[in-house]
Amino acid sequence: MAVDEKDITYVDPRLERARRMGVGVGLLKGLAVTFKHLFKRNTVIEYPDEKQDLPPRTRGVIALKEENCTVCMLCSRECPDWCIYIESHKEELPPKRAGGRKRKRNVLDRFAIDYALCMYCGICVEVCPYDALFWSREFEYAEYDIRALTHEKERLSDWMATVLPPPPLEVGAELPGAPGAEVALPERPAPRVSSPAARASAPAPAPAEAAPAVPEPATAEPLPGPKRASEPEPAAAGPVPAPAPAEDPQAVYDAVLKEQLERGSSPQVAEARAKVARVKAERGIARPGVPPPMKAPETAESGPGQTPAVPAPEADRAPATERLAGQEAAQAAEDPEAVYERVLAEERAKGSSEAVAQARAKAARMRAIKGAGG
Amino acid sequence: MELNLTDWQILLVKLAVVLALVPGLTLLAGYAEHKVMAHLQHRLGPMYPGGFHGWAVLLADGLKFFYKEDIIPKAADRRVFSLATFAIFVPAIMVYLVIPLDRNLIVEDLDVGIFYLLAISSVSVIGVLMAGWSSANKYALIGALRSAGQLIAYELPIVLSAAVIAMLAGTMSLVGIVEAQDWPFLIWPPGIGLIAFLVFTAASVAELTRPPFDMPVAESEIITGPFTEYTGMRFIFSYFFPEVANMVALGAVATTLFLGGYKPPVPWAPLEAVPGALWFALKTSFMVFLFLWIRPTFPRLREDQLQRFAWKVLIPVTLLLIMAAGAWVLYA
Repeated sequence: MAVDEKDITYVDPRLERARRMGVGVGLLKGLAVTFKHLFKRNTVIEYPDEKQDLPPRTRGVIALKEENCTVCMLCSRECPDWCIYIESHKEELPPKRAGGRKRKRNVLDRFAIDYALCMYCGICVEVCPYDALFWSREFEYAEYDIRALTHEKERLSDWMATVLPPPPLEVGAELPGAPGAEVALPERPAPRVSSPAARASAPAPAPAEAAPAVPEPATAEPLPGPKRASEPEPAAAGPVPAPAPAEDPQAVYDAVLKEQLERGSSPQVAEARAKVARVKAERGIARPGVPPPMKAPETAESGPGQTPAVPAPEADRAPATERLAGQEAAQAAEDPEAVYERVLAEERAKGSSEAVAQARAKAARMRAIKGAGG
Repeated sequence: MELNLTDWQILLVKLAVVLALVPGLTLLAGYAEHKVMAHLQHRLGPMYPGGFHGWAVLLADGLKFFYKEDIIPKAADRRVFSLATFAIFVPAIMVYLVIPLDRNLIVEDLDVGIFYLLAISSVSVIGVLMAGWSSANKYALIGALRSAGQLIAYELPIVLSAAVIAMLAGTMSLVGIVEAQDWPFLIWPPGIGLIAFLVFTAASVAELTRPPFDMPVAESEIITGPFTEYTGMRFIFSYFFPEVANMVALGAVATTLFLGGYKPPVPWAPLEAVPGALWFALKTSFMVFLFLWIRPTFPRLREDQLQRFAWKVLIPVTLLLIMAAGAWVLYA
């Protein structure tokens, strides 16, 4: 307060120069600066009339791709604000094969984000293993009531339409899926047979008459998400052509590795299975016709759904499953486009939102294409 | 007697014109302030009210203030609080009575025009003090004291630089001063007119308590100083309106004293044909633009810097100018 101007030492050389030039020069310079701005082109964006093209990674709002959600709760648990509400119920699906155990899966009932709490950290988007959450550039979702800021999954799904496609990879970047991009997902020859349930669910009336135990599934997508999809299921692929029992362990290793890779296993899985085969070969365990090398990792990986390869006789269940299987075969023959149209119509009839209906129809078409291939 | 009656009638018409003109000019200058300042700061300013570049923004603002509740603090001195508005507002209009828009376009060409003008504009200091004291609010009081100190300090340079012009012109009538000015207005007599003009402009900005001399109403320190407790139309008529009206008035005074008033900028026959009021309006607009231009350009000074600038720079300079002008009148 009591600092006198002459006591202040000016260290800034520009200030020092300005002082030497005299008081008036600085004032005139200031006036010149503002005067220039009077004639510069104005860059103001008049918001409600004009809109800024926001950068692609803008954290506007979080959109939900409902059909990808497996109710794993990771997002909800990782959320620092605990602003994600998820509710679900379990649903039983018919076993894969006749006599198999009934399978369970989660059906999403509610997915809500409270944007009054959300701090837009994006941890939920990062943590989602199934690519069900995305950033959207949408930002106009203000409400008059703080409670209205809790947006339910219908609204969150609607925002999926505004999500931008992922940016192209940089030149020389490693392809997603990391090491061994040559065994990419689409090349997988043997389709999973986990789909009977999903396929059965596609025609709405079918499960109702076929298996009353199966409730109307909410989502048509097979439960295991895309990241798990790279693992094949040996039971479905049929018996593995076994190498000669007296073979050299290294040869067994190579053979199994090659075979696994050809079948579309991920390199890690293929390697693991090949290793198991080698160990067994070293120990002299005979393995013709038996797929034990694959069995060990397989049971560890997949759920309790498919433990025994031998069908357990269950009289009351068998007919239903058979009918399901037959239906599946019939469907596999169906034209994918027809499947798409049918599922779309069904979903609309059920009252799903347009985005969800289209997504489900697309998924059904994809399955039809794959099913026809296998 | 019948001549006297017509005089009264003429006077009434003149007063009516002034009363209509001042709010109009104030609205115009206020709108200019919004837009010019915005563009100086690389903004657009109001764009919506009225449709075309927000021309109706001040009408909308006025309407808003009109509907606001009129609050007088419980501890306030009600009578003084209410009177203060008039003590500030009325002088702002009365200044316009002696400004010659053209050779004959003037309400009253007083022989002591410049004296009347400076005296009237000083009255508002009392109004500001009344407002600050009666509000029973410490910010209002601080603001009022700052305001009083500032207005008194900067009235001196204004009076003294006006005195320089009156000495050179040899008259205190504003029409006489304009008539006494000749091409080139500011340059001759050498230096005196120009320096007096600069001093007058700087002191005017301070007198208007506009940035960079806006400590009395420094909103980041003392809210709006003496007008902290004023609401609604009281706020308009004690703060916004007088400030803008005074800005136009001081621009007009500077035009009259220094820029040749209603005379064309160059004594050339085609320019002489243009009505003097138009020249006057153009020159006044330039002065108002100067005030608007200064506002977003310079940061606010500190209170002690402000006082030092007045007492140590402006007043000595004007005293020297008076001596120089006296010497010029005597010997040149």
